Amino acid sequence: MSFLSNNIIRSITIIAVSLCLLWLIGLGWAVGEYYAGKPKKAPQTAKVATKVANKKGLTVVALGDSLTRGTGDEAGKGYVGVVADEIKEKTKRPVQLTNLGINGQRSEQLKMQVQQAEVGRQLQKADVILVTIGGNDLFRGGQGLIDFQSGDIAGIEKKYLSNLKFIFEQIRKNNKQANVFFIGLYNPFIQMDQGKEMSKVIRHWNYDSAEVTAAFPKIVFVPTFDLFELKVNDYLYSDKFHPNKKGYRLIAERVASLLTW
Amino acid sequence: MNKLIQNEMLKLMAKKRLVVIALIIGVLVILFTYAQYKQVQTQREKLGTSDWRTMVQQQIVDTTNRLSSSRLSDEWKKQLQITLQQQQYYLDHDINPAEPGAPTFMRIFLENSIDLFIPLMVMVIASDLVSSEHSLGTVKLLLTRPVKRWKVLLSKYITLCLAVSLIIAIAGILSYVISGIVFGYKGFGTPILTGFNVTDEGLNTSQVKLLSLWKFLLMDFGLVWFVAIVVGTLSFMLSVLIRSTAAGMGVMLAALISGAILNNMVSSWESAKYFFMVNLRLTDYMKGMAPPIKGMDLSFSMGVLLVWWAAALMVSFIVFTKKDVY
Repeated sequence: MSFLSNNIIRSITIIAVSLCLLWLIGLGWAVGEYYAGKPKKAPQTAKVATKVANKKGLTVVALGDSLTRGTGDEAGKGYVGVVADEIKEKTKRPVQLTNLGINGQRSEQLKMQVQQAEVGRQLQKADVILVTIGGNDLFRGGQGLIDFQSGDIAGIEKKYLSNLKFIFEQIRKNNKQANVFFIGLYNPFIQMDQGKEMSKVIRHWNYDSAEVTAAFPKIVFVPTFDLFELKVNDYLYSDKFHPNKKGYRLIAERVASLLTW
Repeated sequence: MNKLIQNEMLKLMAKKRLVVIALIIGVLVILFTYAQYKQVQTQREKLGTSDWRTMVQQQIVDTTNRLSSSRLSDEWKKQLQITLQQQQYYLDHDINPAEPGAPTFMRIFLENSIDLFIPLMVMVIASDLVSSEHSLGTVKLLLTRPVKRWKVLLSKYITLCLAVSLIIAIAGILSYVISGIVFGYKGFGTPILTGFNVTDEGLNTSQVKLLSLWKFLLMDFGLVWFVAIVVGTLSFMLSVLIRSTAAGMGVMLAALISGAILNNMVSSWESAKYFFMVNLRLTDYMKGMAPPIKGMDLSFSMGVLLVWWAAALMVSFIVFTKKDVY
């Protein structure tokens, strides 16, 4: 033990004692800070000004409900993922995909979402914007099946259309350049007893949505009603509501054929 | 007294335990640094960007989607909601919750090692401090000297506290130096938010304040040190009570691991909050996470730990001064 001279031991001890004191100060500070109560000044909500452009590649931003999310697709891609892949292949450029879809989202929730500062910033740098919304407004998790004949639908649709208008205005406010594709509704219940009446409601719904869409430049209404009209069950997931992998591919192919550069 | 402590320090150094601990920490930090680096890389590839705002926004959306699943347990749901609100708060205030850099790595390393890893390292030193004197037979030599028994034990205990302080510093320095090679050494001044209050209704952000990361780190270090001292004292007590070092270590290890497991499932068993091992995650209170059991907060956990600490210390001294040595 010759290398451990008394001096080394003594200095290690002194270092240890001072560290001990330092940690004790930290502990005291932590307790003090935890019970210090209200700060004098609450942190201000920052204005996100920096616009980060994605120069190298293309940016795809997807907004909406479970269709945007890709619910029902075993691969988890949904139509958004397939479209992004398609763009990557066609342009040979890297694609940054930001999927902001939320399961079960309705138009008034999307209206709140597009007003968030960060979502606005994402929209600013987007080259392509994909939107699906309205399915949950109309079907309300199956509730819509029961009372679709009542006059209630008209009221719901009116609210939905004004929300849709607001959402498009918000998108255009943030980004005047990007192409926006708004995906219309299909009828997942077309083969059920009241499928025909339901189809009528959905056709009407889609028509009015397309009317709203037409008022905005570079926003394209993409119909999907016809895609699912025949053999609907081949394209639906086991919940008989969301598309399956094949169904999403159908939607994606239609959107991809509309893309221009 | 000074001489005794010096003597104990000499024994500690001669055993080279601290070197072993430093090596273990070093190897683990290298592993974690690499894992973290890989994680950041795959995330970047997946999202096609390194912009943290996009990542946080994506995380928020992903968490929202997970919340819509009906199969989540209530506690998990609440925890997710709290994380969600925190992330949104960070985003609204344009503050990166995990600014890349060695200081952030150090913070995450500390927060994750507070309840198991650091206590284990402390155990390596504490659990044979007294019992090894028994097994080596040197305890007789120690006690035949004209010094009171409690003084002998006190010198050992003070040495333990000093060693704990050194271990915490070693963990801090190694995690900073090693991770800095990959993530860079800057970032002590980055702001971090603290003061999130978890209430029954969810997250209360009215008392949130901004802190510099170095301040936050010092607090984390203090809390980790406190936990390490308590765990060290408990293993010290076992080392006095049980002659076999291995048995003492086994008991402590079982307690620590059961704490890590219990943390995930005690929410319905309320009296479990008086165990020391479910109270070890003190740094979580600073971050504003939901406590494992309702009604726990920083002062409660620290109080429980203090009671265990005092009891262990008392038992150690009483037993050691009364015990027959043969």
